[in-house]
Amino acid sequence: MASQRGERLTRLGATAPPTLFLLAFFLVPALIVVLASFQFPGEFGGLAPLADPGDGREHGLTLENIQFFFSDFLFTEIFLRSFVVAAESTLICLVMAYPVAWLIAKSPKQHRDFLVLLVILPFASNFLIRVYAWMIILGPQAALARTLNGVLGAFGFEPVSLLFSPFAVLVGMVYVHLPFMILPLYTNLEKHDPLLLDAAQDLGANAWQRFWRVTWPLSLPGVFAGSALVFIPVLGMFAIPDILGGTRDMLIGNLIKDQFLGVRDWPFGATLSIVLTLCVLALAGLAAWAGKARRTHA
Amino acid sequence: MRWLLLLCLAGAAHAADTLYLYNWNNYISDASVARFEAQCGCRVVRDYYSDNEEMLAKLAAGASGYDLLVPTGNAVEALIRSRQLRPLDKSRLPSLKNLKPEFLNAFFDPGNRYSVPYAYTVTLLGYNIEKLAALNLPTDTWALIFEPRYLAKLKGRVTVLDSQRELIAAAMRYLGYSVNDRDAAKWNRARDLILRAKPYWAAFNASSYIKELTVGNIWLAHGYSSDMFQARADAKKAGRPFHIGYSIPKEGAVLALDSMVLHKTGRSPELALRFIDFMLEGRNSSELTNLIGSGNPNRAAMRYIDPEFFQASADNRAIFPDASTLGRLEMLRDLDRRQRRILNRLWTEIKLR
Amino acid sequence: MRRLPVWLKLAAAASFAFLYVPLVVVVAYSFNDSRLNAEWVGFTLDWYRVLFGDKEMQLAARNSLAIALVASLCATFFGTLAGLAIHRYHPRWLVLLVITPVAMPEILLGVSLLVFFIQVLHLTLGLVSVVLAHITFSIGFVAIVVRTRLAGMDESLFEAARDLGASPWQTFRLVTFPLILPAVVAGFLMAFTLSLDDFVITFFTAGVGVSTLPLQIYSMIKIAVTPEVNAISTLLMLLTLLLVVAASRMDKGFMKGGG
Repeated sequence: MASQRGERLTRLGATAPPTLFLLAFFLVPALIVVLASFQFPGEFGGLAPLADPGDGREHGLTLENIQFFFSDFLFTEIFLRSFVVAAESTLICLVMAYPVAWLIAKSPKQHRDFLVLLVILPFASNFLIRVYAWMIILGPQAALARTLNGVLGAFGFEPVSLLFSPFAVLVGMVYVHLPFMILPLYTNLEKHDPLLLDAAQDLGANAWQRFWRVTWPLSLPGVFAGSALVFIPVLGMFAIPDILGGTRDMLIGNLIKDQFLGVRDWPFGATLSIVLTLCVLALAGLAAWAGKARRTHA
Repeated sequence: MRWLLLLCLAGAAHAADTLYLYNWNNYISDASVARFEAQCGCRVVRDYYSDNEEMLAKLAAGASGYDLLVPTGNAVEALIRSRQLRPLDKSRLPSLKNLKPEFLNAFFDPGNRYSVPYAYTVTLLGYNIEKLAALNLPTDTWALIFEPRYLAKLKGRVTVLDSQRELIAAAMRYLGYSVNDRDAAKWNRARDLILRAKPYWAAFNASSYIKELTVGNIWLAHGYSSDMFQARADAKKAGRPFHIGYSIPKEGAVLALDSMVLHKTGRSPELALRFIDFMLEGRNSSELTNLIGSGNPNRAAMRYIDPEFFQASADNRAIFPDASTLGRLEMLRDLDRRQRRILNRLWTEIKLR
Repeated sequence: MRRLPVWLKLAAAASFAFLYVPLVVVVAYSFNDSRLNAEWVGFTLDWYRVLFGDKEMQLAARNSLAIALVASLCATFFGTLAGLAIHRYHPRWLVLLVITPVAMPEILLGVSLLVFFIQVLHLTLGLVSVVLAHITFSIGFVAIVVRTRLAGMDESLFEAARDLGASPWQTFRLVTFPLILPAVVAGFLMAFTLSLDDFVITFFTAGVGVSTLPLQIYSMIKIAVTPEVNAISTLLMLLTLLLVVAASRMDKGFMKGGG
């Protein structure tokens, strides 16, 4: 009896503190944002009051913000564009990460930790610094742009600018998120049983078939995990388009940031945040569903 | 653990005599700040913004504790109307008499109950003199950033301000409207003008165009006169093979009169008043002009200002505009929240297309 | 051991080069004798001198360290408990609550905390709000690292302790805690690194006079880039490098948790 109570106390002691903290600083704020998306903007920023302040100012709840969102295809278009950028980044990351993850997984055991460390190390610098590096590399005065434009010029093409372009944004996105793709892929590939490949070879499969029929399907959980880790952060990113982007590179993140820190329209910013959250949840649900479907299939 | 405690203690000891200054980037001379710190035995903590809207938004987002802000007229107007400012105790500002009367009693604060003029800038065009001359382009019209026939020669070498108000204002002036016109149809026309020109621009840029001009990446920039002044000085100092010039477009432009105001949440209003009076002294005020080429509303500062500023040239006319130029300059007024939302949508459209 | 095809090695090498060349450029340019940071001019240590004379940068560095220390200590406490609770009792809602802040785009957490602090708590943004925000997103990482460690352990150890009459607290203090200590330390170092590195959430929750190194770097990049940014970046890289190496020495789970 006493031990049962002790057990319950232990359970409470371990569960309550993190739960309470996260309820207070994660769940409640999230709900407040939902509420804010139905409020009026304050005249000078922030939110208009919920209760009547008694001086004729706007107050209470409204559907105006969500109506504003759908009043123009513009905002949906920004979401779509962000999805395209996220998908492109994920795909490029996948193509670049796979060989690295494979190489590490196939390396002798004593080298693997070192190679993994090599992948993590770039994390050791702040992500702004990593983005800034590309500002230097892609700048029009730098060797890369000069060489490229020299070659283009020789063939009679117009010079191109690398910095402040969708290309620069994509490079930045891939660069910052590449390790997020490599690590889960590696963790997955490392677990593959080499005997499977031997068996496939004995059955007459060539290298390509061995990859496509054996390794790739088995690595799909790693691919999904890595893709989620790249896709979702890219979707909300504002700093990279801010620093490397040109005149057309506005993504959802920038739009949301502007509502709060640029144009004093919190309720609309909250509305955009809610839509983004719904998108992310839908994606997560889709990934979970895909994973489950695969498992039952297998 | 012990050094953490020490850190906290050190922080607390500082807090008493600290002036929190929220200012435009590049808008004060380090020498002035250092002298003020020595004089008052205090510390000045500086924070920066690159757009009025950004500053207002941060304040609306609860940024508090700033003693002194240096907003532009329309932002002063918004701050006064939202009751965020502390009235000035003018008996503590003996140097107020140094100000030129034409800069007092502006529309945003009749009687200067809350604000003291600090400096002014004009939003104009800065350019690479050699490049524009080689391309046979004029330098005194907004057509340069809006007309494809000029822009075709400058493709990818132009930046415009990353500021809703400023860019639309430039377009409005070019179309012959007042920058404060709130007619949605006219705004739409400005948007169309901008969208037509946009494919030729390299970026929307709020601050790093100084560097881009200096390095030679950018040949034409829409920006503040003080920034262009700095780009010109930097290019000279770095021994670049070209020069940077700037001029006010003949269609007219935005004049930004920046004023010092006390924010209500500041904890050192006394210190802030001392700082204002300090900055009103001729020598201190002149330092800013000498350093960044800002316009100066201070009479007493004139004799400390580098005589080069008074030679006749397009550059100098942008810093100390003559009467006819002044007539073509307008100050921006604040918008209400519905107008802001309309503009917001226009801006998103401009950014996206 | 199957031989790897050459093209695969080349592709991997290209990816590694892609990861490292930019960092080399940043470090190299910190020694560049040009204010403009566009082309290579000559070698100098001036930017380090400028950096050490830069009071605002020092203040930002001090803020960053203080925030990281306090936030990661608290996050370690909450995260370790969460890891234990998840391992022992498998409450699905706690898993969700711990993982979601990690999995969401950062901007959403930043925005919701901003609105919450201002509109509900009426808190003046500053050190406190940044610390609270950092704890929120770090708990999940610590919990994952601790939980991974626990999953790899032999349950019979705990049962043996209980059979020998140890109370839950004694079991925890004498058996569980020493066993998971490496993971706890690794989690702490990870939280510390994340806090030191965070830009987005700090951007939304920092107030007056509270600049952190990433915020300072951002405004330098946006406003006037001089190689001072490269110098601080180089130093920061060295510091985080040490932390990452230390964390990975402590616990293998760190690498997997890091993914």
